Amino acid sequence: MYKRLELHNHTTESDASITCRELVEHMVSDKADAFAITDHNTISGHRKIQKLLAEDAYPIQCIYGMEYTTYYGHILCLNLEEYVPWETINPHRPELLFEAIRSKNALAGIAHPYSYGHPFARGCGFDMTVTDYSCVDFIEIFNNPEPLHEVNERGLLLWESLVLDGHVLAVTCGMDLHGKWDMKGQYATFIQGEKDGNIAEELKHAIRTGKTCISKGPVLTAKVDKSRSLLTFALTETHKPGYSHNPGCPYLVSVRSATQTITQPLEEPFSLSSFGRDTILIPKLFESDTSLEHLICVGSAIYL
Amino acid sequence: MEKMRELYHTEGTLQKDFVGQISYTVCLPETFCELDIAFTFDKQHFSAEDLTNQRKTEVRDICRSKYGLELNDEQLYRLMTGEMKTEIHTLATLNDTFIGCVHRQLTSRHMHFTAREATEGCLPVERIEGVLRITILVFNVLLDNTHYHLCVTAR
Repeated sequence: MYKRLELHNHTTESDASITCRELVEHMVSDKADAFAITDHNTISGHRKIQKLLAEDAYPIQCIYGMEYTTYYGHILCLNLEEYVPWETINPHRPELLFEAIRSKNALAGIAHPYSYGHPFARGCGFDMTVTDYSCVDFIEIFNNPEPLHEVNERGLLLWESLVLDGHVLAVTCGMDLHGKWDMKGQYATFIQGEKDGNIAEELKHAIRTGKTCISKGPVLTAKVDKSRSLLTFALTETHKPGYSHNPGCPYLVSVRSATQTITQPLEEPFSLSSFGRDTILIPKLFESDTSLEHLICVGSAIYL
Repeated sequence: MEKMRELYHTEGTLQKDFVGQISYTVCLPETFCELDIAFTFDKQHFSAEDLTNQRKTEVRDICRSKYGLELNDEQLYRLMTGEMKTEIHTLATLNDTFIGCVHRQLTSRHMHFTAREATEGCLPVERIEGVLRITILVFNVLLDNTHYHLCVTAR
């Protein structure tokens, strides 16, 4: 099954207006399968949510994390069990912090890389120089409240270029929730998992293997048939609240490789030979046309 | 009940555009059951008098060079009076273990600890003893001579 994850959320433990309990209830009411608590520079909400989930049997799981909020960029951290100091961060060697986080078995990713920083809000944009992306687990390409083209499109293009260069980097998105915000029509992160599976383990596996995708609703899955040299796609409905497909607007699948982008109706198989020697493909699902406004799902990268 | 006792008290000034942190280490003289760290600063926002032509040009130039944004007068005014801010947060460790961070846009805050409860952003502390380190995380300072004040009390 596909699990819908909301991976970027704040509470009154930092600068949001909702308490830990309200966050849990908001996520339950929107039918998320799991959510992360990622307050700015604190893990104080972890115990509170653990207690709430243990006592009240909410039908949801929590991913414990933090948003490292530094002077030079924000680093989302998931499956974090203990606080890792960040105050000595060097913008020319951010790898040191990523490695310190990963040494605690946590996952570390770049949050909203192209948000506006100073003079709007210092640190919101990612101004650090990463020279070794092997220590970065994921990039949050869609930070839902941010401007589509000025911020999120640039995040998507950064992720695509890194993946097409051969980096195994997972893709995530988030609400960057600071209140009881409406999540309808927004992107969520999806991973595969078992009904009662351990969400921390499932997330770790999905991120470390690049098997995450983001979607407003359906999940795009690919099937490679090397014997017939065909690539086909199918959709899995996730029933994310707020999404409904207009049958009058056909689904299109766009596949980008290092050298070209091919777009076809969802039902039509792609010929693998069309991609020449390219071995890494990024599929995206659109409705009606391939403008960013009509992007429904960014699938996980396909390695031929 | 015993009164809170002042253990440390300091103040200082920050200059415009300072980014970084200042740490204070306090060796606690005994084991306490309650600890409070109070921090305040001033000049969080520009006042009308601060919006000089020179300052407006400086901000406009940054937006243009960094983001390709051409701000009109109204947008610039909204940015400078509504969004730009002096931003300082506080973090505390006890014996090198994280006990809390208050990351909220407040000019006055407390980090309060007991064995059972703590301010949001902070963790309850069973035994308040040893070496306390308070770090002032300075993200942005809009104006010269921005004053801050720190006070540690316990009982």
